[in-house]
Amino acid sequence: MRTTLPVIIAFLSGFAMIFLFFLSPEYSSINGVELEPEILSWVTIVGGFTLLLGVVSIVRVNYTAVKRRKEGWGYKVATLVSIFAMAVPAIIPSSMSSLFGTGPGSIYDWLFNNLDAPMMSTMFAMLAFYIASAAFRAFRARTAEATLLLITAVIVMLWRIPMGEIVLSGIHENIPNLINTYIMNGANMAVQRGIIIGAALGAAAMALRIMLGIERTYMGK
Amino acid sequence: MSAGMIIAYILIIIAGGILLYMAFRTGDRRYIYFAVAFYVVFPVLVHLPLPTSISPEARQLYDAVDGLPDSSTVMLTFDYYPSTLAETEPMSRAALHHLFKKDCRVLTMTTIPLGGPSIAERVTREVAEKYGKVYGKDFVNLGYKANYVAVLKGMGSSIETIYPTDNSGTPLSEIPMMKDIKNYEGIDFIIAVADNAIIDYWISIVNSQYGVPVGTGVTAVMAPRYFAYIGAGQMTGMLGGMKGAAEYELLVNEAGTATKGMTAQSLVHLFIIVSVAVGNVIHFMERRGRRRRIGV
Repeated sequence: MRTTLPVIIAFLSGFAMIFLFFLSPEYSSINGVELEPEILSWVTIVGGFTLLLGVVSIVRVNYTAVKRRKEGWGYKVATLVSIFAMAVPAIIPSSMSSLFGTGPGSIYDWLFNNLDAPMMSTMFAMLAFYIASAAFRAFRARTAEATLLLITAVIVMLWRIPMGEIVLSGIHENIPNLINTYIMNGANMAVQRGIIIGAALGAAAMALRIMLGIERTYMGK
Repeated sequence: MSAGMIIAYILIIIAGGILLYMAFRTGDRRYIYFAVAFYVVFPVLVHLPLPTSISPEARQLYDAVDGLPDSSTVMLTFDYYPSTLAETEPMSRAALHHLFKKDCRVLTMTTIPLGGPSIAERVTREVAEKYGKVYGKDFVNLGYKANYVAVLKGMGSSIETIYPTDNSGTPLSEIPMMKDIKNYEGIDFIIAVADNAIIDYWISIVNSQYGVPVGTGVTAVMAPRYFAYIGAGQMTGMLGGMKGAAEYELLVNEAGTATKGMTAQSLVHLFIIVSVAVGNVIHFMERRGRRRRIGV
Protein backbone atom coordinates (compact mmCIF):
# COMPACT_ATOMS: atom_id res chain seq x y z
CA MET A 1 0.00 0.00 0.00
CA ARG A 2 2.91 2.35 0.73
CA THR A 3 3.96 2.20 -2.91
CA THR A 4 0.62 1.43 -4.56
CA LEU A 5 -1.19 4.55 -3.30
CA PRO A 6 1.46 7.04 -4.55
CA VAL A 7 1.49 5.26 -7.93
CA ILE A 8 -2.32 5.52 -8.16
CA ILE A 9 -2.20 9.23 -7.21
CA ALA A 10 0.58 9.86 -9.76
CA PHE A 11 -1.37 8.04 -12.49
CA LEU A 12 -4.65 9.83 -11.80
CA SER A 13 -2.99 13.27 -11.53
CA GLY A 14 -1.03 12.79 -14.75
CA PHE A 15 -3.99 11.31 -16.61
CA ALA A 16 -6.31 14.11 -15.43
CA MET A 17 -3.95 16.84 -16.65
CA ILE A 18 -3.43 15.18 -20.04
CA PHE A 19 -7.16 14.53 -20.46
CA LEU A 20 -8.20 18.05 -19.41
CA PHE A 21 -5.72 19.58 -21.86
CA PHE A 22 -7.87 18.29 -24.73
CA LEU A 23 -11.22 19.39 -23.27
CA SER A 24 -12.75 22.85 -23.53
CA PRO A 25 -13.73 24.43 -20.14
CA GLU A 26 -17.49 23.72 -20.54
CA TYR A 27 -16.79 19.98 -20.67
CA SER A 28 -14.28 19.96 -17.80
CA SER A 29 -16.32 21.61 -15.03
CA ILE A 30 -18.08 20.03 -12.07
CA ASN A 31 -20.78 22.17 -10.39
CA GLY A 32 -19.36 25.26 -12.11
CA VAL A 33 -15.83 24.58 -10.86
CA GLU A 34 -13.29 24.27 -13.66
CA LEU A 35 -11.14 21.25 -12.94
CA GLU A 36 -7.88 22.33 -14.57
CA PRO A 37 -7.33 25.60 -12.60
CA GLU A 38 -8.57 23.81 -9.48
CA ILE A 39 -5.98 21.04 -9.82
CA LEU A 40 -3.27 23.59 -10.65
CA SER A 41 -4.02 25.55 -7.49
CA TRP A 42 -3.64 22.26 -5.56
CA VAL A 43 -0.25 21.83 -7.20
CA THR A 44 0.95 25.26 -6.01
CA ILE A 45 -0.26 24.45 -2.47
CA VAL A 46 1.57 21.10 -2.53
CA GLY A 47 4.62 22.99 -3.86
CA GLY A 48 4.44 25.28 -0.80
CA PHE A 49 4.47 22.26 1.49
CA THR A 50 7.55 20.85 -0.25
CA LEU A 51 9.37 24.10 0.60
CA LEU A 52 8.32 23.67 4.22
CA LEU A 53 9.58 20.09 4.11
CA GLY A 54 12.95 21.37 2.87
CA VAL A 55 13.19 23.88 5.71
CA VAL A 56 12.28 21.24 8.32
CA SER A 57 14.86 18.87 6.86
CA ILE A 58 17.70 21.42 6.83
CA VAL A 59 16.92 22.52 10.40
CA ARG A 60 16.85 18.91 11.63
CA VAL A 61 20.12 17.92 9.95
CA ASN A 62 21.96 21.03 11.14
CA TYR A 63 20.52 20.93 14.65
CA THR A 64 21.63 17.31 15.06
CA ALA A 65 25.14 18.19 13.88
CA VAL A 66 25.35 21.09 16.35
CA LYS A 67 24.00 18.98 19.19
CA ARG A 68 26.64 16.28 18.56
CA ARG A 69 29.40 18.87 18.07
CA LYS A 70 30.32 17.40 14.69
CA GLU A 71 33.23 18.88 12.72
CA GLY A 72 32.36 22.36 11.46
CA TRP A 73 29.37 22.69 13.79
CA GLY A 74 30.01 26.43 14.08
CA TYR A 75 29.04 26.87 10.41
CA LYS A 76 25.85 24.95 11.05
CA VAL A 77 25.00 27.38 13.87
CA ALA A 78 25.43 30.19 11.32
CA THR A 79 23.09 28.33 8.93
CA LEU A 80 20.41 27.91 11.61
CA VAL A 81 20.68 31.54 12.77
CA SER A 82 20.44 32.72 9.13
CA ILE A 83 17.37 30.59 8.44
CA PHE A 84 15.48 31.93 11.45
CA ALA A 85 16.67 35.53 10.98
CA MET A 86 15.30 35.52 7.42
CA ALA A 87 12.22 33.38 7.92
CA VAL A 88 10.69 34.58 11.21
CA PRO A 89 10.34 38.33 10.34
CA ALA A 90 9.08 37.35 6.87
CA ILE A 91 6.36 35.06 8.25
CA ILE A 92 4.99 37.60 10.76
CA PRO A 93 2.24 39.59 8.97
CA SER A 94 3.22 43.07 7.78
CA SER A 95 -0.02 44.39 9.31
CA MET A 96 1.74 44.22 12.72
CA SER A 97 4.67 46.38 11.59
CA SER A 98 6.33 47.42 8.34
CA LEU A 99 9.46 45.63 9.63
CA PHE A 100 7.71 42.31 9.14
CA GLY A 101 6.59 40.54 5.97
CA THR A 102 8.58 40.69 2.75
CA GLY A 103 7.66 44.16 1.52
CA PRO A 104 9.97 47.14 1.02
CA GLY A 105 11.64 48.27 4.26
CA SER A 106 11.10 44.95 6.02
CA ILE A 107 13.84 43.08 7.91
CA TYR A 108 13.70 40.31 5.32
CA ASP A 109 14.08 42.82 2.50
CA TRP A 110 17.04 44.52 4.21
CA LEU A 111 18.80 41.23 4.91
CA PHE A 112 18.23 40.08 1.36
CA ASN A 113 19.45 43.26 -0.36
CA ASN A 114 22.40 43.92 1.95
CA LEU A 115 23.67 40.44 2.85
CA ASP A 116 22.22 37.72 0.67
CA ALA A 117 22.45 39.39 -2.74
CA PRO A 118 26.08 40.64 -2.35
CA MET A 119 27.20 37.25 -0.97
CA MET A 120 25.63 35.30 -3.84
CA SER A 121 27.00 37.75 -6.40
CA THR A 122 30.47 37.41 -4.86
CA MET A 123 30.37 33.63 -5.02
CA PHE A 124 29.30 33.73 -8.67
CA ALA A 125 31.87 36.41 -9.56
CA MET A 126 34.68 34.19 -8.28
CA LEU A 127 34.01 31.90 -11.24
CA ALA A 128 35.59 34.48 -13.54
CA PHE A 129 38.94 34.02 -11.77
CA TYR A 130 38.80 30.24 -12.05
CA ILE A 131 37.73 30.37 -15.69
CA ALA A 132 40.64 32.67 -16.54
CA SER A 133 43.08 30.42 -14.71
CA ALA A 134 41.61 27.26 -16.26
CA ALA A 135 41.72 28.85 -19.73
CA PHE A 136 45.45 29.40 -19.35
CA ARG A 137 46.22 25.96 -17.89
CA ALA A 138 43.69 23.50 -19.34
CA PHE A 139 41.96 24.65 -22.56
CA ARG A 140 44.22 22.84 -25.05
CA ALA A 141 43.82 21.93 -28.72
CA ARG A 142 44.80 18.30 -28.11
CA THR A 143 42.43 16.71 -30.64
CA ALA A 144 40.60 17.83 -33.80
CA GLU A 145 37.30 18.14 -31.85
CA ALA A 146 38.94 20.17 -29.08
CA THR A 147 40.56 22.43 -31.69
CA LEU A 148 37.19 23.03 -33.37
CA LEU A 149 35.59 23.80 -30.01
CA LEU A 150 38.42 26.13 -29.08
CA ILE A 151 38.33 28.08 -32.35
CA THR A 152 34.52 28.42 -32.19
CA ALA A 153 34.66 29.52 -28.55
CA VAL A 154 37.26 32.19 -29.32
CA ILE A 155 35.28 33.50 -32.32
CA VAL A 156 32.00 33.66 -30.34
CA MET A 157 33.71 35.27 -27.35
CA LEU A 158 35.14 37.95 -29.63
CA TRP A 159 31.76 38.42 -31.33
CA ARG A 160 29.97 38.99 -28.00
CA ILE A 161 32.12 41.91 -26.85
CA PRO A 162 32.36 45.43 -28.29
CA MET A 163 36.16 45.28 -28.43
CA GLY A 164 36.00 41.95 -30.27
CA GLU A 165 33.51 43.37 -32.75
CA ILE A 166 35.96 46.18 -33.49
CA VAL A 167 38.71 43.60 -34.07
CA LEU A 168 36.51 41.35 -36.27
CA SER A 169 35.06 44.27 -38.24
CA GLY A 170 38.63 45.48 -38.75
CA ILE A 171 39.39 42.22 -40.60
CA HIS A 172 36.19 42.46 -42.66
CA GLU A 173 33.05 44.47 -41.88
CA ASN A 174 30.75 41.49 -42.54
CA ILE A 175 32.42 39.04 -40.13
CA PRO A 176 30.13 39.80 -37.11
CA ASN A 177 27.04 39.27 -39.32
CA LEU A 178 28.49 36.05 -40.75
CA ILE A 179 29.08 34.70 -37.22
CA ASN A 180 25.49 35.54 -36.31
CA THR A 181 24.13 33.91 -39.47
CA TYR A 182 26.29 30.80 -39.82
CA ILE A 183 27.42 29.95 -36.27
CA MET A 184 24.63 31.15 -33.97
CA ASN A 185 21.64 30.90 -36.33
CA GLY A 186 23.14 28.01 -38.30
CA ALA A 187 25.20 25.29 -36.64
CA ASN A 188 24.26 26.35 -33.09
CA MET A 189 20.54 26.50 -33.82
CA ALA A 190 20.53 23.08 -35.50
CA VAL A 191 22.31 21.44 -32.56
CA GLN A 192 20.14 23.21 -29.97
CA ARG A 193 16.98 22.06 -31.74
CA GLY A 194 18.23 18.49 -31.58
CA ILE A 195 18.98 18.85 -27.87
CA ILE A 196 15.61 20.48 -27.10
CA ILE A 197 13.62 17.86 -29.05
CA GLY A 198 15.65 15.04 -27.45
CA ALA A 199 15.12 16.45 -23.96
CA ALA A 200 11.38 16.89 -24.58
CA LEU A 201 11.02 13.28 -25.77
CA GLY A 202 13.00 12.14 -22.73
CA ALA A 203 10.73 14.17 -20.41
CA ALA A 204 7.61 12.68 -22.05
CA ALA A 205 9.00 9.16 -21.67
CA MET A 206 9.89 9.82 -18.03
CA ALA A 207 6.39 11.20 -17.35
CA LEU A 208 4.88 8.07 -18.85
CA ARG A 209 7.16 5.84 -16.76
CA ILE A 210 6.13 7.69 -13.58
CA MET A 211 2.42 7.51 -14.45
CA LEU A 212 2.61 3.78 -15.17
CA GLY A 213 4.57 3.10 -11.99
CA ILE A 214 7.70 1.87 -13.80
CA GLU A 215 9.81 4.75 -12.46
CA ARG A 216 9.63 4.83 -8.66
CA THR A 217 12.80 6.68 -7.64
CA TYR A 218 10.69 9.65 -6.50
CA MET A 219 9.46 7.36 -3.70
CA GLY A 220 13.02 6.58 -2.67
CA LYS A 221 12.91 3.19 -4.40
CA MET B 1 37.62 56.94 -29.89
CA SER B 2 40.11 59.58 -28.73
CA ALA B 3 43.91 59.18 -28.85
CA GLY B 4 44.04 59.31 -25.03
CA MET B 5 41.64 56.38 -24.76
CA ILE B 6 43.58 54.34 -27.32
CA ILE B 7 46.77 54.94 -25.32
CA ALA B 8 44.94 53.96 -22.08
CA TYR B 9 43.73 50.71 -23.71
CA ILE B 10 47.22 49.91 -25.02
CA LEU B 11 48.70 50.49 -21.55
CA ILE B 12 46.20 48.26 -19.75
CA ILE B 13 46.62 45.53 -22.39
CA ILE B 14 50.41 45.71 -21.89
CA ALA B 15 49.86 45.45 -18.11
CA GLY B 16 47.81 42.28 -18.69
CA GLY B 17 50.54 40.91 -20.95
CA ILE B 18 53.16 41.46 -18.25
CA LEU B 19 50.95 39.68 -15.65
CA LEU B 20 50.40 36.77 -18.06
CA TYR B 21 54.14 36.53 -18.68
CA MET B 22 54.76 36.49 -14.92
CA ALA B 23 52.17 33.74 -14.51
CA PHE B 24 53.96 31.71 -17.18
CA ARG B 25 57.42 32.31 -15.73
CA THR B 26 56.56 31.60 -12.11
CA GLY B 27 53.65 29.17 -12.56
CA ASP B 28 51.81 31.24 -9.93
CA ARG B 29 48.14 31.51 -10.88
CA ARG B 30 47.68 34.49 -8.57
CA TYR B 31 49.06 36.68 -11.38
CA ILE B 32 46.10 35.56 -13.50
CA TYR B 33 43.69 36.37 -10.65
CA PHE B 34 45.29 39.78 -10.24
CA ALA B 35 44.97 40.48 -13.98
CA VAL B 36 41.25 39.61 -13.95
CA ALA B 37 40.69 41.79 -10.87
CA PHE B 38 42.60 44.62 -12.55
CA TYR B 39 40.53 44.37 -15.74
CA VAL B 40 37.27 44.38 -13.79
CA VAL B 41 38.12 47.20 -11.39
CA PHE B 42 40.06 49.56 -13.68
CA PRO B 43 37.21 50.32 -16.14
CA VAL B 44 34.91 50.95 -13.18
CA LEU B 45 37.31 53.58 -11.83
CA VAL B 46 38.30 55.07 -15.21
CA HIS B 47 35.49 55.57 -17.71
CA LEU B 48 36.54 54.06 -21.04
CA PRO B 49 33.38 53.74 -23.16
CA LEU B 50 33.23 51.40 -26.15
CA PRO B 51 30.87 51.56 -29.15
CA THR B 52 28.20 48.83 -28.85
CA SER B 53 26.43 47.48 -31.92
CA ILE B 54 22.83 46.22 -31.76
CA SER B 55 22.22 42.52 -32.39
CA PRO B 56 19.19 41.50 -34.52
CA GLU B 57 17.68 39.68 -31.49
CA ALA B 58 17.82 42.77 -29.24
CA ARG B 59 16.44 44.91 -32.06
CA GLN B 60 13.56 42.46 -32.52
CA LEU B 61 12.62 42.69 -28.83
CA TYR B 62 12.85 46.47 -28.84
CA ASP B 63 10.75 46.77 -32.00
CA ALA B 64 8.10 44.39 -30.62
CA VAL B 65 7.74 46.37 -27.39
CA ASP B 66 7.93 49.70 -29.20
CA GLY B 67 5.21 48.54 -31.60
CA LEU B 68 2.74 47.87 -28.79
CA PRO B 69 -0.05 50.43 -28.48
CA ASP B 70 0.53 52.90 -25.63
CA SER B 71 -1.07 51.80 -22.33
CA SER B 72 -0.72 48.12 -23.24
CA THR B 73 -0.33 45.60 -20.43
CA VAL B 74 3.06 43.89 -20.27
CA MET B 75 4.17 41.19 -17.87
CA LEU B 76 7.80 41.46 -16.79
CA THR B 77 9.24 38.48 -14.95
CA PHE B 78 12.14 38.51 -12.51
CA ASP B 79 13.07 34.84 -12.77
CA TYR B 80 16.63 35.21 -11.58
CA TYR B 81 18.77 34.68 -8.52
CA PRO B 82 20.91 37.42 -6.94
CA SER B 83 24.06 35.72 -8.27
CA THR B 84 23.33 36.86 -11.83
CA LEU B 85 22.12 40.37 -10.99
CA ALA B 86 25.00 41.95 -12.93
CA GLU B 87 23.66 40.50 -16.18
CA THR B 88 19.92 40.37 -15.59
CA GLU B 89 19.01 43.42 -13.51
CA PRO B 90 20.08 45.92 -16.21
CA MET B 91 17.75 44.08 -18.63
CA SER B 92 14.82 44.51 -16.25
CA ARG B 93 15.68 48.16 -15.68
CA ALA B 94 16.00 48.93 -19.39
CA ALA B 95 12.71 47.13 -20.08
CA LEU B 96 10.96 49.10 -17.32
CA HIS B 97 12.28 52.39 -18.72
CA HIS B 98 10.93 51.44 -22.13
CA LEU B 99 7.55 50.31 -20.78
CA PHE B 100 6.98 53.29 -18.52
CA LYS B 101 8.01 55.71 -21.28
CA LYS B 102 5.24 54.14 -23.37
CA ASP B 103 2.78 54.39 -20.45
CA CYS B 104 2.38 50.62 -20.43
CA ARG B 105 0.88 48.92 -17.40
CA VAL B 106 3.46 46.55 -15.91
CA LEU B 107 2.68 43.33 -14.10
CA THR B 108 5.73 41.82 -12.40
CA MET B 109 6.15 38.32 -10.95
CA THR B 110 8.80 35.73 -10.19
CA THR B 111 9.19 31.98 -10.03
CA ILE B 112 12.32 32.30 -7.86
CA PRO B 113 11.72 32.13 -4.11
CA LEU B 114 15.15 33.41 -3.15
CA GLY B 115 14.85 37.14 -3.46
CA GLY B 116 12.78 37.28 -6.64
CA PRO B 117 9.98 39.30 -4.99
CA SER B 118 12.46 41.66 -3.32
CA ILE B 119 14.37 42.29 -6.54
CA ALA B 120 11.14 42.91 -8.47
CA GLU B 121 9.89 45.27 -5.76
CA ARG B 122 13.13 47.26 -5.50
CA VAL B 123 13.88 47.59 -9.23
CA THR B 124 10.31 48.36 -10.31
CA ARG B 125 9.71 50.97 -7.62
CA GLU B 126 13.04 52.72 -8.34
CA VAL B 127 12.29 53.06 -12.07
CA ALA B 128 8.58 53.81 -11.53
CA GLU B 129 9.45 56.72 -9.23
CA LYS B 130 11.33 58.42 -12.07
CA TYR B 131 8.20 58.38 -14.25
CA GLY B 132 5.75 59.19 -11.46
CA LYS B 133 4.00 55.82 -11.80
CA VAL B 134 1.63 54.71 -9.07
CA TYR B 135 1.50 51.22 -7.55
CA GLY B 136 -1.80 49.50 -8.20
CA LYS B 137 -2.66 51.78 -11.12
CA ASP B 138 0.41 51.59 -13.35
CA PHE B 139 2.24 48.56 -11.97
CA VAL B 140 1.62 45.59 -9.72
CA ASN B 141 4.02 43.04 -8.21
CA LEU B 142 2.43 39.61 -7.91
CA GLY B 143 5.44 38.16 -6.09
CA TYR B 144 6.26 34.47 -5.87
CA LYS B 145 4.27 31.25 -5.91
CA ALA B 146 5.72 27.76 -5.69
CA ASN B 147 5.79 25.24 -8.55
CA TYR B 148 6.40 27.28 -11.67
CA VAL B 149 4.81 24.93 -14.22
CA ALA B 150 1.48 25.05 -12.35
CA VAL B 151 1.82 28.83 -11.94
CA LEU B 152 2.44 29.45 -15.65
CA LYS B 153 -0.32 27.08 -16.71
CA GLY B 154 -2.76 28.26 -14.04
CA MET B 155 -2.48 31.94 -14.98
CA GLY B 156 -3.88 30.98 -18.38
CA SER B 157 -7.21 30.26 -16.69
CA SER B 158 -7.15 32.74 -13.83
CA ILE B 159 -4.36 34.88 -12.39
CA GLU B 160 -6.42 35.43 -9.23
CA THR B 161 -6.66 31.69 -8.55
CA ILE B 162 -2.86 31.41 -8.55
CA TYR B 163 -2.17 34.81 -6.95
CA PRO B 164 -5.13 35.67 -4.68
CA THR B 165 -3.05 38.60 -3.37
CA ASP B 166 -0.14 40.72 -4.58
CA ASN B 167 3.33 40.59 -3.00
CA SER B 168 2.25 42.83 -0.11
CA GLY B 169 -0.86 40.78 0.67
CA THR B 170 -3.45 43.08 -0.94
CA PRO B 171 -6.24 41.05 -2.61
CA LEU B 172 -6.09 41.39 -6.41
CA SER B 173 -9.80 42.28 -6.44
CA GLU B 174 -8.91 45.51 -4.56
CA ILE B 175 -6.20 46.57 -7.04
CA PRO B 176 -7.57 48.89 -9.80
CA MET B 177 -5.08 47.75 -12.47
CA MET B 178 -6.11 44.12 -12.08
CA LYS B 179 -9.81 44.79 -12.79
CA ASP B 180 -9.47 43.88 -16.49
CA ILE B 181 -6.47 41.54 -16.24
CA LYS B 182 -7.95 38.14 -15.49
CA ASN B 183 -5.64 35.81 -17.43
CA TYR B 184 -3.22 35.88 -20.37
CA GLU B 185 -5.93 37.39 -22.56
CA GLY B 186 -5.42 40.64 -20.64
CA ILE B 187 -1.67 40.64 -21.32
CA ASP B 188 -0.27 41.98 -24.60
CA PHE B 189 3.36 40.98 -24.25
CA ILE B 190 5.63 39.15 -21.84
CA ILE B 191 9.28 39.96 -21.20
CA ALA B 192 10.76 37.02 -19.30
CA VAL B 193 14.13 37.87 -17.75
CA ALA B 194 15.66 34.69 -16.38
CA ASP B 195 18.88 32.92 -15.49
CA ASN B 196 17.48 29.38 -15.68
CA ALA B 197 15.48 26.98 -17.85
CA ILE B 198 12.12 28.57 -16.92
CA ILE B 199 12.33 30.25 -20.35
CA ASP B 200 11.50 26.88 -21.97
CA TYR B 201 8.20 26.86 -20.06
CA TRP B 202 7.36 30.46 -20.94
CA ILE B 203 7.69 29.36 -24.56
CA SER B 204 6.13 25.88 -24.43
CA ILE B 205 3.25 26.77 -22.10
CA VAL B 206 2.51 30.48 -22.40
CA ASN B 207 3.48 31.25 -25.99
CA SER B 208 2.54 27.94 -27.61
CA GLN B 209 -0.68 27.25 -25.71
CA TYR B 210 -2.02 30.77 -25.07
CA GLY B 211 -0.44 32.67 -27.97
CA VAL B 212 1.04 35.50 -25.91
CA PRO B 213 4.21 36.87 -27.58
CA VAL B 214 7.24 36.29 -25.33
CA GLY B 215 10.53 38.19 -25.51
CA THR B 216 13.37 37.24 -23.21
CA GLY B 217 16.46 38.42 -21.41
CA VAL B 218 18.84 35.61 -20.50
CA THR B 219 22.39 35.16 -19.24
CA ALA B 220 25.17 34.87 -21.83
CA VAL B 221 25.69 31.14 -21.26
CA MET B 222 21.98 30.48 -21.86
CA ALA B 223 21.62 32.59 -25.00
CA PRO B 224 22.84 30.05 -27.63
CA ARG B 225 20.08 27.62 -26.61
CA TYR B 226 17.31 30.09 -27.38
CA PHE B 227 18.29 30.89 -30.95
CA ALA B 228 16.26 27.78 -31.77
CA TYR B 229 13.06 29.41 -30.45
CA ILE B 230 13.80 32.69 -32.24
CA GLY B 231 14.32 30.83 -35.50
CA ALA B 232 11.01 29.04 -35.01
CA GLY B 233 9.19 32.33 -34.37
CA GLN B 234 8.19 31.25 -30.85
CA MET B 235 10.35 33.88 -29.19
CA THR B 236 10.05 37.57 -30.05
CA GLY B 237 13.56 38.84 -29.49
CA MET B 238 16.21 38.13 -26.92
CA LEU B 239 18.79 39.96 -24.83
CA GLY B 240 21.84 37.76 -24.37
CA GLY B 241 23.97 38.47 -21.31
CA MET B 242 25.36 41.82 -20.27
CA LYS B 243 25.96 42.71 -23.93
CA GLY B 244 22.24 42.22 -24.62
CA ALA B 245 21.39 44.40 -21.64
CA ALA B 246 23.78 47.10 -22.90
CA GLU B 247 22.14 46.92 -26.34
CA TYR B 248 18.68 47.46 -24.83
CA GLU B 249 20.00 50.32 -22.67
CA LEU B 250 21.36 51.89 -25.84
CA LEU B 251 18.05 51.41 -27.67
CA VAL B 252 15.99 53.02 -24.91
CA ASN B 253 18.67 55.70 -24.40
CA GLU B 254 19.15 54.89 -20.72
CA ALA B 255 22.83 53.98 -20.26
CA GLY B 256 23.20 51.97 -17.07
CA THR B 257 25.45 49.42 -15.43
CA ALA B 258 25.49 47.08 -18.45
CA THR B 259 26.83 49.82 -20.72
CA LYS B 260 29.49 50.63 -18.12
CA GLY B 261 30.28 46.93 -17.72
CA MET B 262 31.03 46.43 -21.43
CA THR B 263 34.60 47.68 -21.09
CA ALA B 264 35.37 45.33 -18.18
CA GLN B 265 33.75 42.41 -19.99
CA SER B 266 35.66 43.18 -23.19
CA LEU B 267 38.98 43.33 -21.38
CA VAL B 268 38.40 40.12 -19.39
CA HIS B 269 37.20 38.24 -22.51
CA LEU B 270 40.25 39.40 -24.45
CA PHE B 271 42.51 38.41 -21.57
CA ILE B 272 40.96 34.93 -21.50
CA ILE B 273 41.36 34.59 -25.29
CA VAL B 274 45.01 35.64 -25.08
CA SER B 275 45.50 33.24 -22.11
CA VAL B 276 44.08 30.36 -24.16
CA ALA B 277 46.32 31.26 -27.11
CA VAL B 278 49.46 31.60 -24.95
CA GLY B 279 48.64 28.39 -23.06
CA ASN B 280 48.33 26.50 -26.37
CA VAL B 281 51.53 27.94 -27.82
CA ILE B 282 53.40 26.83 -24.68
CA HIS B 283 51.73 23.40 -24.86
CA PHE B 284 52.79 22.85 -28.48
CA MET B 285 56.31 24.11 -27.86
CA GLU B 286 56.70 21.73 -24.92
CA ARG B 287 55.27 18.82 -26.95
CA ARG B 288 57.63 19.57 -29.82
CA GLY B 289 60.55 19.72 -27.39
CA ARG B 290 59.60 16.35 -25.87
CA ARG B 291 59.30 14.73 -29.32
CA ARG B 292 62.73 16.04 -30.30
CA ARG B 293 64.26 14.69 -27.09
CA ILE B 294 62.89 11.19 -27.66
CA GLY B 295 63.71 11.40 -31.39
CA VAL B 296 60.19 11.02 -32.82
